[in-house]
Amino acid sequence: MKLTQSPTFRAFSEPLAKNNPVFIQSLGICSALAVTVQLNTAIVMALAMTFVTAFSSLTISAMRNVIPRNVRMIVELSVIASLVILADEVLRAFFYDISKQLSVFVGLIITNCIVMGRAETYALGNPPLRSFMDGLGNGAGYGLVLVTVAFIRELLGAGKLFGFSVVPQAFYDHGYLNMGFMQLAPAAFIIIGLLVWLQKSLMKG
Amino acid sequence: MSDQSTSIAFTVAIALVCGLLLTGAATGLKERKLRNVAVDRQKNILKSVGLFDPDRPAAVAQIEQLYQDSIRCDAVDGTGRIVAGDSGAEALPVCFYVKGNQPAAYILPVDSRGLWGRIRGYLAIEKDGKTVAGFSVYNHNETPGLGGEIEKPWFQKNFVGKRIVDETGAFAAVGIAKGKVTDAIAADRQANYVDGISGATLTGKFLTGGLKEVLLDYEPLSEQFRAGPVSLPAGG
Repeated sequence: MKLTQSPTFRAFSEPLAKNNPVFIQSLGICSALAVTVQLNTAIVMALAMTFVTAFSSLTISAMRNVIPRNVRMIVELSVIASLVILADEVLRAFFYDISKQLSVFVGLIITNCIVMGRAETYALGNPPLRSFMDGLGNGAGYGLVLVTVAFIRELLGAGKLFGFSVVPQAFYDHGYLNMGFMQLAPAAFIIIGLLVWLQKSLMKG
Repeated sequence: MSDQSTSIAFTVAIALVCGLLLTGAATGLKERKLRNVAVDRQKNILKSVGLFDPDRPAAVAQIEQLYQDSIRCDAVDGTGRIVAGDSGAEALPVCFYVKGNQPAAYILPVDSRGLWGRIRGYLAIEKDGKTVAGFSVYNHNETPGLGGEIEKPWFQKNFVGKRIVDETGAFAAVGIAKGKVTDAIAADRQANYVDGISGATLTGKFLTGGLKEVLLDYEPLSEQFRAGPVSLPAGG
């Protein structure tokens, strides 16, 4: 069997595009609006999210046969919350400025439906490695959307990428203006809408 | 064991493991976090006197160096006398931006009420005792996007050059207008107000009150600066 056909690989690759959590399941939109004004914050958020989904799925899947059914949600949430706090602590210690900009949104990963959704629907019924890849894929699929939206918003809204100006001064001298609208939340809605359209029409073909 | 006690035992075990893990992480990273907070505070002191540009990030060592070279912190007692170094509970802390052994500005710590919690920052006044040199915020709990805009450069830049005295030279404090200064404030008072944030009227109101309180507390010191050049005591 080829690598690309194996269930483990498919668990990783499907949520990237074909079953993207943001595009297809419309989950995690709230944070996708909030942290995509700059590429820096979007990438850090994507990494934090991928870390949490991957390891929460792995942990919960490893314990899936011993978790008592009636308290499974409490156990899932304890695992997820611990991982999120861990990620937040690391950010505070090593990326203080970015963690200040992300403010509450790292903590809000706990309530991101993607994490809980993967734990409930996938990790509880699949072996650890495959669940880990599924979490990795879902985090990366979410991150991919975040980074794409942030790229467009930062480029058009501030003329910058990663905080460095990329639109040459000559453009501004000739009357080019940054699109202030791109800095606001509605712009993220419109971009995500257009991306969903693009993704749907690509997938049909 | 019954189902119920299995569940309870399992959750207790999970809680214990998670708790231990997080305690370990929090203790292990504590020192780094405290250093970050200290540097962030130094950065905001520098920002309030215009020595640090938020658009051009600097390395931690650079900030610490700059802070050591140009800022000194003392205290001021109730009569406006400057006491070198960190002194008792009676005195108010104050920092100075020192240029050529002379204070070029003095920096007041702001601890104001906000909508959801305290707003902490710095307000710097030029050595004339009348003009605001800058304002910065390092800690607040205001709503992101609304009151939270107080931490953004566009809002803080508006403070530069505003006056804490009115046209006759009497104390007036500096406040946040409800809306644009040019629309909301009478012409002769416009120098005492900065543009407000739409959707954050209450944050503006509380911060206006907080700034006035701080400025009143330090008024004896401001009066000294208005009267003429102030020299700093030795040591500290």
